[in-house]
Amino acid sequence: MNIKIPYSLLKNYLKTRATPQKIAECLTLCGPSVDRIIKTKTDIVFDIEIITNRIDTASAFGLAREAVAILPQFGIQAELINNPYQLNGRVPKMTTKELPLKVQILDQSLVPRFTTIILNHLKVNPSPKNIQQLLLAAEIRPINNLVDITNYLTLSLGQPCHIFDYHKIKNHTLKLRASKKGETVTTLDHKTHSLPGNDIVIEDGSGRLVDLCGIMGGKNSEVDENTTAAILFVQTYNPLKIRQTSLATQERSLAAQICEKQPDPELVLPTLITGIKLLQQTAKAKVASPLIDIYPNPAKRKILTIPLAKIDQIAGINIPPKTTTAILKSLGFQPKIQNLKLTCSIPTWRLHDIAIAEDIIEEIIRIYGYFKLSDQFPSASIPKTDVDIKLYWEYQTKIILTHLGFTEIYHNSLISKSILEKSTLPLEHSIGLKNPLSQDYQYLRRSLIPSLLNTLSVNQGRLELPLKIFELSNIYLENFPQPEEKPILALATQGEDFLKTKGDLEALLHYLKISSLKFIPSKNNSTLFVKSKMAEIYSSKKYLGVIGEISSTVNHNFSLTNKVNLINLDFTTLSSLSNNNIKLTIPPVYPAIIESITIESKRPIGDLIQTIKQTHRYITFVHYSESYQNRHTFIVHFNHPQKNLTQKEINSIKQSILLIS
Amino acid sequence: MKQLETQVNLLDQLFDIHIKTVNSLKDLDSLNIKYLGKNGQINQLFKKVPSQQKPILGPRINALKNKIIRILNDRKKLLQKTQDETSFDITIPGITSPLGHLHPISQAIKEIEDIFSKLGFIRRRYPEIDTDWYAAEGLNIPKSHPARDDQETFYVSDNLVLTAHTSNGQLHEMELMKNPPIRMINIGKTYRRQIDASHTPMFHQFEGLLVDQGVNISHLIGVSNYFVKNYFNSESKIRLRPHHFQFTEPSFEVDIVCSSCHGQGCRLCKAGWLELGGAGMVHPQVLKNGGINPQKYTGFAFGWGIERVIAIKHRINDIRYLYTTDLRILNQV
Repeated sequence: MNIKIPYSLLKNYLKTRATPQKIAECLTLCGPSVDRIIKTKTDIVFDIEIITNRIDTASAFGLAREAVAILPQFGIQAELINNPYQLNGRVPKMTTKELPLKVQILDQSLVPRFTTIILNHLKVNPSPKNIQQLLLAAEIRPINNLVDITNYLTLSLGQPCHIFDYHKIKNHTLKLRASKKGETVTTLDHKTHSLPGNDIVIEDGSGRLVDLCGIMGGKNSEVDENTTAAILFVQTYNPLKIRQTSLATQERSLAAQICEKQPDPELVLPTLITGIKLLQQTAKAKVASPLIDIYPNPAKRKILTIPLAKIDQIAGINIPPKTTTAILKSLGFQPKIQNLKLTCSIPTWRLHDIAIAEDIIEEIIRIYGYFKLSDQFPSASIPKTDVDIKLYWEYQTKIILTHLGFTEIYHNSLISKSILEKSTLPLEHSIGLKNPLSQDYQYLRRSLIPSLLNTLSVNQGRLELPLKIFELSNIYLENFPQPEEKPILALATQGEDFLKTKGDLEALLHYLKISSLKFIPSKNNSTLFVKSKMAEIYSSKKYLGVIGEISSTVNHNFSLTNKVNLINLDFTTLSSLSNNNIKLTIPPVYPAIIESITIESKRPIGDLIQTIKQTHRYITFVHYSESYQNRHTFIVHFNHPQKNLTQKEINSIKQSILLIS
Repeated sequence: MKQLETQVNLLDQLFDIHIKTVNSLKDLDSLNIKYLGKNGQINQLFKKVPSQQKPILGPRINALKNKIIRILNDRKKLLQKTQDETSFDITIPGITSPLGHLHPISQAIKEIEDIFSKLGFIRRRYPEIDTDWYAAEGLNIPKSHPARDDQETFYVSDNLVLTAHTSNGQLHEMELMKNPPIRMINIGKTYRRQIDASHTPMFHQFEGLLVDQGVNISHLIGVSNYFVKNYFNSESKIRLRPHHFQFTEPSFEVDIVCSSCHGQGCRLCKAGWLELGGAGMVHPQVLKNGGINPQKYTGFAFGWGIERVIAIKHRINDIRYLYTTDLRILNQV
């Protein structure tokens, strides 16, 4: 989360000669990052990123507390002023019982600390100009002096607080409890929430909910221009409950974002006292009740002891113990060094953040300055482990394909239902998301094909044909206990002769040294492919995938006007068969005799080539030339490794070839 | 003898006619074979001459032969000269083979893999769909922790998520290796529920993990600087800013110096620096969860976006362009 802190508010707590720019620069290097410095008409505003474990920095005071630890590291003096924690020891006596209030806390675990006070004789007006300007600088809309003071308190001290109209609380009762499922409350933003149950709420004793605690006040108890008496209250809540309710109601108010991160209960009372003072000044408030403070288990500092040597071990340089203690002292950690051990007392505002030695060490090194650390290489101990050969072949395959004229595409793994329907692939067994971003990204792909067809369609008419694209990505298949992530290589061409695409595949497999290819006409009834132009691809008995021409139906669904060829390969098998450890064969010194031979047969050409090759071991190469009806011509190379073959020898081999039918 | 002499004269005249028809070196070659070849006209004449007539006819035929050789040679020179001087428009575009293109993300992955492999980091790929333990709980992010907010996670089921970062690889790698040294660079697809100029629902990260004895923050700085100097340029350098991640302690945000303004501050950067991504010293609890003794070993880890480093290097201000399917763009890379 980001918050905006005006510089003039920061100055209420920080005394330094550093410029706002310098403060921002130093804070960014050693503490909260100042994302931007915004100049407004009246102020300079820091836009600050608050990291989840440092809710104690989400205020002008919190920022000042960081600055007084950080600035001295840059040689700049800085002093914390108006520290609200000092108010803990100086609570004014409040004994008047002018207006009654009954507080009931049904479950103490919901609210670690509950403080409240009733203020009477209020004059509701617009806030003084300086407060309005500060709020506007922080992008908070001024409303009236009562509401503005609560926002001003949050911005100054980082502790959310709320104010009710006393007379709108029917029985003058605040009953804090867990909500029941289905109870409704209308919040200040006019939204009515039906609660999921177990939310922290306050009812007024009549069953009417008046507050969605830690998130937003109830509309029915809102202060307005007629308010004369108000209940100011400041609490800390069970952070998990706040978070659950905030997420369930989609109310991500600043209060919720703070309360879910456990602000310091020790800051609650100072906030209330500061609030009373401010309302006395700006709204002529008079205290009308005793101060109620229900705080059964006060936060206590924790003690943590760590070996001093560990600091340097993690930093990689030597940080003098004196520097270490100075840093920790400035952060409020009360450090002591004894027997090479560092003992710290963790302040209440850091109790949830600092738990182990590494947390303390982070504090020391960050304030010391990460930029002061050295730049070293770790010593060369190299792990003994095998590389993933699949990753090697992935890159090789991609490079070969680009050389064959294919362009690589990265498609999203998440696809829509409609694109699946277009490709006639079934939706069933697709893994769907529980919380998709939109219908476009709803299912994990079980096939790369729909995305490729879509891309061909998108590019149609933009470029000269043929279009040649590929993708090598995982598909996701249902499995137990975890889905299977299976790498697939898919190639698609548009406007290219089927045999050319097939030839590219053969070239790829040739480069990968995958041999003994077989293209077996598929008997499957596929709606995706043209039935007569679809084959399963094997290397010996290993199934590699399919090749085919996309059916007219699917082509039409994707508005594709040219024929599309598609190849889908199981990349795990491909990479397991790929090989770069080849034995070179030295070609025979005697030149091959090359003859053209025509055979009459009804068998597929692929079969015939295989059969011719197997006729004799001196046949070294068979190339298909052309066909006329059932007569097929092949170019055949004859070669003996150690001598020139005689015409007689060749003729006898030719005789056995001509017997093939 | 008279008859033979006439034949010689006829051949002489015939040659004069033939030579006029020659237009190319190829024609000249066949003329050469026709007259001067092994079975050419001249040799055939020689064969016909009886031995007693040789003293007279021999010199005559030889003279013809020499004349033919001379003319053919002259003609050859002339033809070669003309052929070399034939005009040709060298500016006509060449006939190219169709060009394929490797996607920028694949190119970046290869570069990153190579840079880290020189430091002994082994490339891995771990699941994109993983259990809550590897993606969160085991990384010290308890259920309902506000840190889960940052992740905008996609859920497949209550216990299965699309990984919002590659950090799930940390625990997988520790389990695989069992004992340090561990040097991993895990590159994979990651997913988050957001889409804008700097976010796409699917993106890629590279996760570095080094666990060994005596590993400290200075080593993280050293390795990070090595990466940025090799991937961006030799002037590049990093800085660490304090940050918080549940699975590292201390945690950092790593920035690199802006190459547009050289750290002076400009429109593209924050006061001279650009955010690269998160890093930190591996949290002792995460080491424990991965079966590594945190008393004995320390480690650092970082997880940075591939699209992010491409965008910085090539000054792309909308990373959604990396997921274009427009071949007019992809064919440029």
